[in-house]
Amino acid sequence: MGRVLENNSKNLLKGMNIPIPEFRIASTPQEAELAAAELKKPVVVKALIPTGKRGKAGAVRFANSPEQAKEEAAKILGMVVSYYRVEKVLVEEKLEIVQELYLSVAMDCNKKRIVVIASPRGGVDIEEINSQHPESIVKHYVDPLLGLPNFRCKEICGDLGLTGNVLKSAIGVLKKVFDAFVKYDCTILEINPLAITTKGDLVAASSLMSIDDAALSRHGNILDMVVVGSERVWHPMTELEKRAVAVNEADPYRGTARYTEIDGGDIGFMCGGGGGSLMVFDTLLSYGGKPANYTEWGGNPPEEKIYGLTKVVLSKNGVKGLLVDANITNNTQVDVVAKGIIRVIRDMKIDTTKFPVVIRLAGVNDAMAKGIFEGNNIEYYGENATMAEAAKVIVERIKRG
Amino acid sequence: MGILLDKKTKIVIQGITGREASMVVKHMRAYGTEVWAGVSPGKGGEKIYGIPVYDSLKQACHRHELNTAIIYVPPLFVYDAVLEAVYNGVKLILIITENVPRQDVIKMLYLAKKEGIEIVGPNSVGIINPGERVKLGPIGGDNVERCFVPGCVGVISRSGGMTAETSWMVKKAGFGVSTAISIGGDPIIGTHPKELLELFEKDEQTKAVVTFSEPGTTLEEDMADFIEAGNFKKPLISFVAGQFTENMPAGTVFGHAGAIIEGGSGKPSTKIMKLKGVGAHIANHYDDIMGLLQRAIKN
Repeated sequence: MGRVLENNSKNLLKGMNIPIPEFRIASTPQEAELAAAELKKPVVVKALIPTGKRGKAGAVRFANSPEQAKEEAAKILGMVVSYYRVEKVLVEEKLEIVQELYLSVAMDCNKKRIVVIASPRGGVDIEEINSQHPESIVKHYVDPLLGLPNFRCKEICGDLGLTGNVLKSAIGVLKKVFDAFVKYDCTILEINPLAITTKGDLVAASSLMSIDDAALSRHGNILDMVVVGSERVWHPMTELEKRAVAVNEADPYRGTARYTEIDGGDIGFMCGGGGGSLMVFDTLLSYGGKPANYTEWGGNPPEEKIYGLTKVVLSKNGVKGLLVDANITNNTQVDVVAKGIIRVIRDMKIDTTKFPVVIRLAGVNDAMAKGIFEGNNIEYYGENATMAEAAKVIVERIKRG
Repeated sequence: MGILLDKKTKIVIQGITGREASMVVKHMRAYGTEVWAGVSPGKGGEKIYGIPVYDSLKQACHRHELNTAIIYVPPLFVYDAVLEAVYNGVKLILIITENVPRQDVIKMLYLAKKEGIEIVGPNSVGIINPGERVKLGPIGGDNVERCFVPGCVGVISRSGGMTAETSWMVKKAGFGVSTAISIGGDPIIGTHPKELLELFEKDEQTKAVVTFSEPGTTLEEDMADFIEAGNFKKPLISFVAGQFTENMPAGTVFGHAGAIIEGGSGKPSTKIMKLKGVGAHIANHYDDIMGLLQRAIKN
């Protein structure tokens, strides 16, 4: 689910012959002024950030002159919208719009289908359409083998109440948007609004695109447009998060290592398994613990990956202890995990009498892991403690100081 | 008894020559589970721990009667491997591979369903029936009895690791497992928990079911509807992990790619409320599973 910035998604749409407004990118108010002058039209100035909800935040503004574009850009640049600091704006020709449609192609994970969602009442977000005008929403679950044949596009656009030349244009745009979704392995491609202009043209005025990161390896040509790992954070990636992604990508097919930084907190959180880590995080909170990050490793990672990840976890300011807590492993060799952790503790010269480290690691080769930790005077539990009990211990050790 | 697996399970491994797959073959055989054949293009004629390797599944099926396939190929090759299994008469497919492109998953699940074939996964650590000593995949590793002993409790888990840990909890509580299934942590998966409840309801060995859930999707809401309709009457003990994610910005993935709250859907609190509403025993703390299970089975 790597997010794609709007300038990039629009260029991809353009490559599929979907009409888009003319635009420029600006990093300063002066650049925005110049861009508006080049476009020679009234413009829209929009924050260029990988998230929706910009309109409500005041990060989409209109300008009738280059001077005004400069002023509006100055208001938007530096704003923080959904945790993202706005560093660039799109300066885009303002369309003469008679109607705004909503169109998205997405995946329904429960129904295991691609779904097309459309409404003639676009321009506001789908949640709002859903609460104000649920009857206006047209939903079509795509047959996985048929895809979206022309007649289906015609049916969907007809259900939107479109007719005449606008209907014909809409059918073509829908087909191309669906094709773009398939071609680029999207998880979502939302055009909102899909504008009907006074000339009767359809233009993708705004686009939101995410690409399935599992499929990225078959899209080498667009790799630099996607922010890898961006689905696991809600803010621009921090230095530590970027380091963790680099650790994982250095050996992408052996095991996983993931790191999400959390504001504040004092417990270095190094938990194994997607499910186990969720459970331990909840458990820590229930005991009054404050995790400094969310981390998950698994799938029998090599020592180097654990070494790199542990280093990231312990590099955050304010971390006062480390919890390594995992389910009894099916295939992860916990002695390898132990070696990676011990190397970091030695390299960073951590004094475990002052910096509590609590380990709960059981499973493949755990006798060796126990030897490694206990030989280094580190508090180790195997099957003699549950994951939750180990979580309680680190909270107590940190409280004791 | 138990579900999905029994003595008639005849296993082939697609992608058998990979490092992880060959280790798993060793562990499966040590446990007493026979693997009849392996497939790895270009490696036909080789042997892995005495198991014959074929270039294609067609060749393997020509020599052996195979009904169960374990898929251990890289993500971009999974789609074709599944089609190969579907069109060579396999009835149960387990996909171990993680991060299979979602469009591929949608297509292959649809094709398998059309042909009446069960798919577990992707991103599953396996299925095990300890009473029959049959295990598919890495589940239980090299020391299966540590977590999986025969018994009367069905285990369904979104997380592979927690399939083992939960079965260990079942053992600590004084019981054992009829069948444990790691359903897979990817956003789109084949067999849903609701369908497994249906099988567990019919299974005489199973007296209760324990489920481990995560944020995202509506798998638990569907289970609740299924129970409400009177289709599952045995005790269900449920734990839903990741309640903290509700206080995090929506649209963020925590853990498995499937664990994401989007558009108000997939919240652990909603899942818990719905399951509680139909009489499931909710473990507020994970360790509570033991006590709840003891009480449920005693009654």
